[in-house]
Amino acid sequence: MSYAIAAYVITVGTLAAYAWMLARERRRLERGDP
Amino acid sequence: MSAPTPALVRIARVRHPLGMLLALLVLVWAWFVIDAPIDNRQGVIQKILYVHPPLAYGAYLGFVLTAVGGALYLWKQRAIYDQLAVAGAEVGVVFCTLMMVTGPIWAKGTWGHWWTWDPRLTLTLLLWFVYLAYLLLRSFTEGSERTARFAAVYGVAGTALIPLNYFVIELAGGRSVHPENLARGSLGAGMGWPFAIANVAAFTAFVWLVALRWEVEARRASAAERAG
Repeated sequence: MSYAIAAYVITVGTLAAYAWMLARERRRLERGDP
Repeated sequence: MSAPTPALVRIARVRHPLGMLLALLVLVWAWFVIDAPIDNRQGVIQKILYVHPPLAYGAYLGFVLTAVGGALYLWKQRAIYDQLAVAGAEVGVVFCTLMMVTGPIWAKGTWGHWWTWDPRLTLTLLLWFVYLAYLLLRSFTEGSERTARFAAVYGVAGTALIPLNYFVIELAGGRSVHPENLARGSLGAGMGWPFAIANVAAFTAFVWLVALRWEVEARRASAAERAG
């Protein structure tokens, strides 16, 4: 059970963190910040 | 604030509705995974099926996109295609990394060990290294046209590994411990729909992330151009 939960938490967590990082970078570029 | 180019506007137009669809699909996917039947032999760990193969398909798709973007760049010489190639490679590497994390977790629970030098696993590691090298090459030599041309050729050549990776189990002729590729009817009763939904959710996440990453790359190039 814990192995399956770990696989899902790692996948969803990593993809969410990656999306958040990209969205933050996109907003920074949109604002024209250095 | 920088003015968006027509290409950025088109990318953003795709991204917004996809983001909403993705949020809904993640909830549907979670429900289907929880509701899916528990495998008689493996138990709950078999539910990794609804995340591991969809990640593999996403990785393949990302690397194919790198080749398509690279080929279009070589043909049309437009930076937007090179930016698509970079986006495909990065999202592909993220999916490939997660596939290589979820696979060993499943292996540990069923085979009893995290890793084995099985032909499929070894080739997947090679595929991951090839595209990691692609990203390193791009990060070390930013903005050069020569690098973009070299990366395009590299990206196109790299796709040769994809069919090899997919069919290696058949080619190994029974020496592989990795389960065979999924075929119609190979899943247990009640597992088809959760697997289909998982693939739709993973595909939507893939397209949404590529669109976002593509926009970031295009905006970075515009900002670098303006900075001179």
